[in-house]
Amino acid sequence: MPMGHTATQQAGSGGLKATEHRLANGLRVVLSEDHLTPVAALCLWYDVGSRHEVKGRTGLAHLFEHLMFQGSSQVTGNGHFELVQGAGGSLNGTTSFERTNYFETMPAHQVELALWLEADRMGSLLTALDEESLENQRDVVKNERRQRYDNVPYGTAFEKLIAMAYPEDHPYHHTPIGSMADLDAASLEDAREFFRTYYAPNNAVLSIVGDIDPEQTLAWIEKYFGTIPSHEGKRPPRDGTLPDVIGGQLREVVEEEVPARALMAAYRLPHDGTREADAADLALTVLGGGESSRLHNRLVRRDRTAVAAGFGLLRLAGAPSLGWLDVKTSGGVEVPGIEAAVDEELARFAAEGPTPQEMERAQAQIEREWLDRLATVGGRADELCRFSVLFGDPQLALTAVNRVLDITAEEVRAVAAARLRPDNRAVLVYEPVQGADAADDTDQTDAAEAADTDAEGEAAQ
Amino acid sequence: MSDAVTATMTFHPQPQGGAPKPWAFPAPERGELSNGLTVLRCHRPGQQVIAVEINLDAPLDTEPAGLEGVATIMARALSEGTDKHTAEEFAAELERCGATLDAHADHPGLRVSLEVPVSRLPKGLGLLADALRAPAFPDGEIERLVANRLDEIPHELANPARRASVTLAKELFPAESRMSRPRQGTEETIEGIDAAAVRAFYEAHIRPSTATAVIVGDLAGVDLDQALADTLGAWTGGPPPQRTVPPIVGDDTGRVVIVDRPGAVQTQLLIGRIGADRHDRVWPAQVLGTYCLGGTLTSRLDRVLREEKGYTYGVRAFGQVLRSTPPSPAGGGSAGASLLAISGSVATEVTGPALEDLWTVLRTLKEEGLTDAERDVAVQNLVGVAPLKYETAAAVAGTLADQVEQHLPDDFQAQLYARLADAGTVEATAAVVSAFPADRLVTVLVGDASRIAEPVKALGIGEVSVITG
Repeated sequence: MPMGHTATQQAGSGGLKATEHRLANGLRVVLSEDHLTPVAALCLWYDVGSRHEVKGRTGLAHLFEHLMFQGSSQVTGNGHFELVQGAGGSLNGTTSFERTNYFETMPAHQVELALWLEADRMGSLLTALDEESLENQRDVVKNERRQRYDNVPYGTAFEKLIAMAYPEDHPYHHTPIGSMADLDAASLEDAREFFRTYYAPNNAVLSIVGDIDPEQTLAWIEKYFGTIPSHEGKRPPRDGTLPDVIGGQLREVVEEEVPARALMAAYRLPHDGTREADAADLALTVLGGGESSRLHNRLVRRDRTAVAAGFGLLRLAGAPSLGWLDVKTSGGVEVPGIEAAVDEELARFAAEGPTPQEMERAQAQIEREWLDRLATVGGRADELCRFSVLFGDPQLALTAVNRVLDITAEEVRAVAAARLRPDNRAVLVYEPVQGADAADDTDQTDAAEAADTDAEGEAAQ
Repeated sequence: MSDAVTATMTFHPQPQGGAPKPWAFPAPERGELSNGLTVLRCHRPGQQVIAVEINLDAPLDTEPAGLEGVATIMARALSEGTDKHTAEEFAAELERCGATLDAHADHPGLRVSLEVPVSRLPKGLGLLADALRAPAFPDGEIERLVANRLDEIPHELANPARRASVTLAKELFPAESRMSRPRQGTEETIEGIDAAAVRAFYEAHIRPSTATAVIVGDLAGVDLDQALADTLGAWTGGPPPQRTVPPIVGDDTGRVVIVDRPGAVQTQLLIGRIGADRHDRVWPAQVLGTYCLGGTLTSRLDRVLREEKGYTYGVRAFGQVLRSTPPSPAGGGSAGASLLAISGSVATEVTGPALEDLWTVLRTLKEEGLTDAERDVAVQNLVGVAPLKYETAAAVAGTLADQVEQHLPDDFQAQLYARLADAGTVEATAAVVSAFPADRLVTVLVGDASRIAEPVKALGIGEVSVITG
C-alpha cells in the first residue's frame, strides 16, 4: 500500500530531460537543456576509481586526478584552473571507489572553453606530465591526507571501518586517499601507465547540463573529442562480489587521543542500483537520519547517552554498499550500554518495520535531498554521469526519486532484518587516551564525503 | 603508445568564448507585515526548494555576563517544542515536510534557516512561525541542550581549525569584548544556563518588529501573502529594545601563539587581524586584492606554498564581516569590522619554511604590487562566477539576509559587481597591503611546539608564546 507520501511535481522527471549520443571513438555524451540561468555544467566521469588500484599503489587514482590539473599539450602548468576561473567558471575533480570525475560550471558563453580543456587533457596529458609535477602533487596529496584524516580526531575511522568491512585483497579494502607508503612509492611510470590504461574516450561519459544549444554543443564535442583515439587497454576491476552478510561480528578497539568515546560500525548492505539498496536507504533514514530518527530519539533525547547518533549510507555498485553507524558518547558514558541500546532498536525495527509516519518522513527527506542535488546544473550533470557510468542508463537519474517513493514498509523491514544484524557488521570502538601514545587526532564526516577526495581543498573560513 | 595517441589527436586553438548573457543579482521585493516583520521576497524560477532566512536582532553582546552561550542554546531550543507540538513531534513534523530548520547565534544576531520543497511551504512556514512565536522551552529539553553543548566543546577544541579560531579571538580582542570569547560559550558559562535564562533572553530580544524574513525560490504557484498572514503574521511582540553597539577594537601587534599539540603531523595556521567591513569604500578593492593573495589555488599564496613547494593542501586568505552598524546619517560610515585572515595547514616539518615563504609573499606584494593581469583575472572570476554562485535559492537568500544583518541596502551585492569591475590594480594592491601588513598580524599555530617553536622564533615575525593544547 502506498504510504501517503507523494512526490512533488519536480521530484520525478518534471524538470529534467536528457538526450544521449555516442561518438565514433566510444565517448558517451548526455545533454540536458535548462535555460533558466545563463550557466552550464560540464561533467566528465572516467570509469576508474580506487577499486582499480593494485596492492602497493593505493591512492594512485586520486594522485593521478591531481596530475590532470598540471597541464597537457596546449595547456601549461596551472592553465586549466587559470583559464576556467578567468572565464568566470568554477571547477574541481574528485576520486571515489568507483569513478573519477572532473567538472566545470561555466557562464553559458564559455562552455566551449571547458570542452577544449577537457579534450586536451584526455588526449594529450602525457606530453606535459613530468617528474616535477608528480613530486609536487605527491606532497600536496600527502598534506591532503594529513589535513583531512591524520590530523583530526577520529579522522581515520572511515578507513579503518572500510578495511574491516571489505576483506584483505578485496578491491574496496582501501579508501581513495591511499596510504602514505604507497603515495611515496608511486612513480612517473605508474602514472603514465594509469593514464594509458584508463583514460580513453570509450571509458568516459561526458554530460553537459544548462543553458546550451544542443546542436552546437554536440558539434563542439565532435570537434574537440572526436579525434581522440579509443583503446581497449582497460583492465576490469577485480570482482567486488561478497556474501550478503559478513557472517560474524568484526571488532577493533582504537586507543587514541580523541575527545570522547565513540561507537562506530559498518554494515554490509545491498549493491546500489537495486530496490533493496533504496529500501536500505529508507531504513537507515528512519533509524539514523536527522533529528526525528529512532537512534537520535533514543540515545540523544531519551537516554542522553550520546552527543550525536546517526547512520550514513555509502552507495556502491561494484561491491556491497555500506551503512555507517556513528555514535559519539556523552560525558563518561561507556560504550556497552550504547551498543545494547542500538541493538535493541535495530532488532525492534527488524521485527516491526517502520510506521507509516516514519515512512512518510524518510521519503520526504530523501526527496528533498534529491531536489537539492538537482537544484544546480552541476548536480544534475553529475547524476546523469553517475547513472550512465554505473548503470549504463542516464535516464535512470530522472526516475530515481520515484523508485525510492515506490518502496514499501515491508521491503524496508525485510532489508533491515536481513542486513542490520550484529553478525553483519564491523565495529570500531574509540577509547580516549591522554597525550603521547596517541597516533591520530578528529572530525565528523559523513560516509559519502569521506569517500570523495578532491583536487582543490576549500580552506575553512 | 602515448606518442601514438598524441600524434593522432587533432588540436584546435583555444576557443575565445561567445558573448556573455546578461545576468544580475536578483532584486528582492521589500515589504512589511502588520506586526512589523520585514519581508524580502525573491522569485527564482525553477528553484523548487524554497529558502527562508530569518534575521533576529539578538547580537551576542546582549547576552548577560557569565551566560555566554545563552543565545546559542535559545537558537537550538526554538525547535524543541512549541505551543502545538512536543520537541519530538516538532522534529517529526518538520521532516514530514521534507524540511530542514537550522538556527545559530553569531555576533550580529541570530539566524534561522528553513529549507522546504515549495509544495509544503505553507506547512513549513507554519512550523517556523510556531518556533518563533511560541517556543515552549521545556526545562527538560533545555537541560538536555546544555548537556549536549557541554559534550560538544571537547570535540571542537580537539579540532585544530576550531581551536585556532578560538585562540585567535582571545588574542585579538580585549578581554571585556564579547568577541574575545567563544560564540557558543565556554564550559563555565554554559553550565549556568537554564530554561529561565533562555526564556529571559527570548523575551528581551525576539520580536517581529526587529526581525526580517527573506524568502527565495520558485514562488510562481504560491499565494505567499496568504501563507505569511496565516503563519509569521500571527507572531506578536513588543517594540524594539534600545541598545548601544560597542566599537570593535583588535590588538594586531605582530606576535605568534603556539597551541601545543605534541605529535601533530601538521600545523594549523590562522593569521589575522581586523579591518574594513562592507560599508567601507575600500571593500571592493579589498575583496579583489584578497582574492589575488589567497582566493584560490592559483593565487599568490598557493602558487608558492602548494603548487611550487607542496607544503600544504591549500592556504586561503579571506575577509569575514564580524559585525556592522547602520551608517551614521552624517556619512561617517559604519563602526563595523571584518576578520581578515589567512588560514590553512602545513606539514609539521616545513612549518618554519612555509611561514617564511608566506611572509615573503606578503612583503613582495607590498614592494612590487599586483600586476594588471592578476587584477583582471580576479575581476573576471569574481564577477563571472556570480550566476553560478547564486544558482540556488539558498545562496541568494543567504546573501540577502547577510545584507540585512549588516545594515546594507538590498542592492548592495548587485552594485558590488560593478564596483569590482571598476577597482583598479593600484587600488587593489593598496587595499590588500593595508589589510595584511606583514608586521601587524597575529599568528596562531596549532601544532607540535617542540618541533615548530624554534624555527618560528627564527623568522622574526613577533614574540612567540606557547600555550597548552
